[in-house]
Amino acid sequence: MPDLPVDNTAAIRSSTEGDGLATLKTHRDRALGEANRDRLIVFSAQVSILATFLGVWEVLTRTPWFVKNTFMDPFFISRPSLVAQRLYDWTVGAQAGFIWPHLTSTLMATMIGLVVSVITGLLAGLLLSQNPRLARVLHPFITGANALPRIAFVPLITMIFGLGLASKVVTAWFIVFFLVFFNTFKGSCNIEKHIIDFCRTLGATQSQITWNVRVPHALAWTFAALPNAVAFSLIGVVLAEFVGSTVGMGYLIITSLSTLNATDMFSTITLLSVLGISLVTVIRRVERYFMRWAPEFRE
Amino acid sequence: MINVSCVTKIYHSGTRETYAIGDANFSVAKGEFVSIVGPSGCGKSTLLNMVASFMAPSSGDIIVNGSPVLPGKIPKGLGYIFQKDTVLPWFNVAHNIGLGLKFRGVPQDKIADKVNRLLEMAGLKGCYEMYPHHLSGGMRQRVALLMTLACDPEILLLDEPFGALDSNTKMILHNELLDIWQQLGQTILMVTHDLDEAVTLSDRVIVLSAPPSRVVLDHRVDIARPRDVFSLRQSLEFSEHVRQIWTVLGREFKLVGREAIEHA
Repeated sequence: MPDLPVDNTAAIRSSTEGDGLATLKTHRDRALGEANRDRLIVFSAQVSILATFLGVWEVLTRTPWFVKNTFMDPFFISRPSLVAQRLYDWTVGAQAGFIWPHLTSTLMATMIGLVVSVITGLLAGLLLSQNPRLARVLHPFITGANALPRIAFVPLITMIFGLGLASKVVTAWFIVFFLVFFNTFKGSCNIEKHIIDFCRTLGATQSQITWNVRVPHALAWTFAALPNAVAFSLIGVVLAEFVGSTVGMGYLIITSLSTLNATDMFSTITLLSVLGISLVTVIRRVERYFMRWAPEFRE
Repeated sequence: MINVSCVTKIYHSGTRETYAIGDANFSVAKGEFVSIVGPSGCGKSTLLNMVASFMAPSSGDIIVNGSPVLPGKIPKGLGYIFQKDTVLPWFNVAHNIGLGLKFRGVPQDKIADKVNRLLEMAGLKGCYEMYPHHLSGGMRQRVALLMTLACDPEILLLDEPFGALDSNTKMILHNELLDIWQQLGQTILMVTHDLDEAVTLSDRVIVLSAPPSRVVLDHRVDIARPRDVFSLRQSLEFSEHVRQIWTVLGREFKLVGREAIEHA
C-alpha cells in the first residue's frame, strides 16, 4: 500500500467494514481521489484570492478616477507590475545583484540572533529550573524585564553597539531570549513527579535524570517556541536596521521612505515576507525532525 | 521481605491534620504476591510510596529486605510500576527498556542483548525502534514493565498498574504478569481498587479500612496455581473469595461514601 495522506485514512478504514476485497480497492481509490480533489479546491481558492487582490491593486492604480480621488495612487502604494519589475532589476536586471548584500545581511543577523537566543535561553531556562530558590529570587526581575516594552531599548542598543551587525544581533537577542527562556523554564518545571520517581527506581542519579528526562522534556518546549522565535528575530533585526544601519532590508525601507519611493518599499516588504515565511518553514521542518517522538507530529 | 509495622501517615494542610493511615501492620514473604484493596482515600498508594521511600511515614517502621527504608533512598532491588504512563516519549522502545541498565553503567552490547531477550519474551520484537506514541496504552504499560524487569528487581511494587486499561487488555496483562512472576518469583505488592483483579492474581488480599486506615482483613486466596485468568472468574471458588472479602470491603466502601457526602 502506498503512503496515504493522513486525512483520508478514516475514510479508508470505514470502507473496509462489511465490504469485499474487490470493492475495497475502488473505495480506496475513491477516497484518494476525493482527498486530492479537496486539496485542489483549497489550493485554487487560495491562488484566486491572491490573484484577485493583486489584480484589483493593479487595475485601481491604473484607473484615473481612483488615482486622483483616493490613495490608490502608484506614488503611495506602487503597483504589482512595478514591484515585479523592480524585483527583476534588483536580482538579474538593470541593477543585477543590488539586493543580495542587503538580503544576506538581514538573513545573517536574523540567524545569528536566533542561534544566540536559543542557546542562551535554553541554558538559562534549564539552569534556573534546576535551582528553585534562585528562580524565586529572580522572579520579579524576570517578569519585570519581560513586561518592558523592549523595543524602547533599540536606539540605546544602536548607540552602544554601533551601526553594524552587532546591534542587529543584540536587538534580536533582546527580543527573542525571553521567549525561549520562558518556554524552556516552564517546560523544565512541569515534569511530572512520577516520571522522575520511576527513573529513580531504575537507578538513575540526579545528573542522569537531568540528561535523560529534564533536558529532552525542556527541549520539546524550546522547539515549540522556535517558529515564533525566528519570526521575532527577523522583526528585531529589521527594527535595528530602521534605527541605524548601513545595509539590510530595514535600511532599504528607511531609505525608500526618505526618497518617497513606494515601489522600493513594497519590493523590500515582498522580499522580507518571502524571507520570513521561508525561515519559519525551514524551522518547522527542523522542529518536526527533532520532535518526531511527540504525538502532535504523529503520522 | 517487606515488613510494615505501626505505620501512620498524617497530612498537614494549614492547621488541619488528616489521618490518612491510622495504623498499618502487615508483612509480605519472599516470593509472595500480595494485593492491597480499600476504599478511595484510604492511603493505599501512600503506603506503597512509603515502602518505595518516595514519602516518609509519620511514625512506624518499614523494613524491606532486612533493612529499614530511609526517606529518599530507594531500597535495593525494588521495581515500581505506576498507573500513569512512565515510558519516556523521546526514546524509542528499545532505548526505554535499556534505560535502567544504562543508568547502572552496563556496557552497550550487554544492554542490547538483554533488551532483545525481553522484547522476545513479551512478543514485542517488532516494536524495537518504535516511539511510544505509536503504541497503545496497554503496550506502553508492557514496556514500562519491561523497563523495570530489565533491572532484575526482587521486589515489585505495583500501583494500580492496570487501572487505566480496558478490561480485555487488563486480563491479557494479568496473564502475562502471572507468567513472569511464576518464572522469576519476585515478591509483589500491588495496590488496586479492582477486587476481581486482586483475587485473580494474589496469594493474599489485604483490606484497608476507611481513613484513618488500618488492616481490617488479611485474606488468603488459596486458589491453585497456575491460574487461568480467563476461566477463573467463572469458578465458584473465585466468587466465594470475592464474596468473603466483599463483606468487609463493602462496609468500608459504604463508610467512605457516607463521609464523602457529609463533607461535601
